[in-house]
Amino acid sequence: MLQLKNIHKQFGDNHVLKGVDISVGKGDVVVILGPSGSGKTTFLRSINFLERADAGEIIFQNKTIETKTATKKEIHALRQKIAFVFQNYNLFQHKTALENVTEGLIIARKMKKDEAEKIGVQALEKVGLHDKLNAYPVQLSGGQQQRVGIARAIALNPDVILFDEPTSALDPELVGEVLEVMKEIAHDGITMVVVTHEMDFARQVADKVIFMADGVVVEEGTPKEIFVHPKEERTRQFLKRVLPEDYTVYI
Amino acid sequence: MTNGLDYPFLFKTFFVALSGVPIALLVTIVALLFALPTGFAFALSSLNNVPFIKQFVRLYISFVRGTPVIVQIFVVYSSVPLLLDIFFTTNNINVNVYDVHPIWYAFIIFAFNTTAILIEVFRSALSAVDRSQIEAAYAVGLNSVQAYRRIVIPQALIVAMPNLCTATINLVKATSLGYAISLHEITLKAKVAANVNYNYVEAYIDIFIVYLILCMVIEFLFRQYEKKLSKYKMQPSAA
Repeated sequence: MLQLKNIHKQFGDNHVLKGVDISVGKGDVVVILGPSGSGKTTFLRSINFLERADAGEIIFQNKTIETKTATKKEIHALRQKIAFVFQNYNLFQHKTALENVTEGLIIARKMKKDEAEKIGVQALEKVGLHDKLNAYPVQLSGGQQQRVGIARAIALNPDVILFDEPTSALDPELVGEVLEVMKEIAHDGITMVVVTHEMDFARQVADKVIFMADGVVVEEGTPKEIFVHPKEERTRQFLKRVLPEDYTVYI
Repeated sequence: MTNGLDYPFLFKTFFVALSGVPIALLVTIVALLFALPTGFAFALSSLNNVPFIKQFVRLYISFVRGTPVIVQIFVVYSSVPLLLDIFFTTNNINVNVYDVHPIWYAFIIFAFNTTAILIEVFRSALSAVDRSQIEAAYAVGLNSVQAYRRIVIPQALIVAMPNLCTATINLVKATSLGYAISLHEITLKAKVAANVNYNYVEAYIDIFIVYLILCMVIEFLFRQYEKKLSKYKMQPSAA
C-alpha cells in the first residue's frame, strides 16, 4: 500500500539518507529500529513531507509521487491520508484536548462541528481521556499529551499513522500507557510505521522490523528474524548494546 | 505673579486638555489600523525570506528607528506639500495643498512610524511560536494559510500583546508631537490655553495627568485582553 523507493536526503554535507527502500502492506505494523543518527526519524518525516527528500519516490495507493518535484497539491492530498504522531506531542498549545483532535476534521476536512466533536470524543475515549476533553495541553502529563496526540491522529481515520519515537520524551513510568494505546490501535488493524527504541513493543506488535544504520536499511524481517537470527553483524552489535543478555529467552 | 498654582485654571484647563483626547485617539487608531495589517504582512514576508521585501523592510526599519519622530514630522510636513504642489500645478489640478488639515500628515507619519515598530513586534512574536506547531498543523491536513490562521497567529498574538501594548502607548504619547504641525491634540490645546496668562506649569500638569490616565486605561484594556487570550496558559486544577 505504501512504498518508498531510493529515498535520499542531505543536510549540507551530511548525507542522512542514502537510498532507503521500504514497503508497507495494508494493516502492517512496521517498526524501524536503529542507533541515533541513523536517519530513521528523517526518513519517517520524509514520508509525509515534513522533510522533503532530495530524491526518491513515494508510491501510495498506486499513485507515484516524485519527492523532489512533488507539488503542494500532491503533498496536501498525501497528508490527508497519513497521520503523524510526534516525539514531543506537538499539541496545539492554545486548544483543548478535544479541539486538538477536531481541528483537522473541522478545518481540513470541512466536517460539521458537532459531527467532528462526536468523533473527537470517541477518539479520546479510545485513549482513555474522556475526562480530559476540555483540558489544555499544559494541564496534562506527558503521557496524557501523547495520548491526545494519538487520538488526534486516529480521529482523522488515516490509512497510515506514522509514529516518531512516541515514548522517547516520556518519563519511564508514563511509557506504558502510551504503548498500551498503540498496541490497541495495532490490533484494530490500522497501518502503522513506528520509529522507536522500545524493543518489547517491536517484538510483540511488529509484523516487520527494519534495522537502519548510517542512512541505509541494513536488514529487515519479522521480529523473530531480526531479534533471534540477525544476519548482519551491524544488527547484532546494535541488539547486543540495547538488549539485556538473556533477552532472546523471551521471544 | 508667582502665588503658587492657579487652581481654578488648573481645573478648567484639565478639561481643555481632555478635549484633545479624541484627536489623539483618532490618530492612534488610524495609525494602528494601517500599521497592524501592513506590519504583519511585512513581518511574515520578511520571515519567509521573500527576496526583495526582506531588504526593503530592513532598510525601512533602520530608517524609521534611526531618526527622531519630530524630524520625520518636519520632513514630511515640509516636503510632502511641496511635492504635491508641483504635482498639482503641472497637472492643472486646482487644489491648494496648504489647506490640507494637519491631521492627514499626522496619519501618514504615525502610520509610517508604527508600521516599522510593529514589523519588529510581529517578527519576534511569529518566530516565538515553535516550528513544531506548524508541523503538527500540516500533519493534521491543514494547508499553510489554515496553519497560520488557526495555529500560528493566535499563539503569536499572545506573545505580541505586551509589545503591542507598549507600542500603542508610545504612539499615544508620540501624538503629542502633533503640536509641531498645529494639530489640536492634548498638548497643543493645553499650551494654547496657557498662553493667555502664562500658566504653563498648570497646563503641563494637566497634560501630564491626561496622558497618564489615558495610558493607564490602555494598559488596563490590553491586560484584560491578554488575560482572556492566554487562559490556556494558566494551569490550576487540571480540568
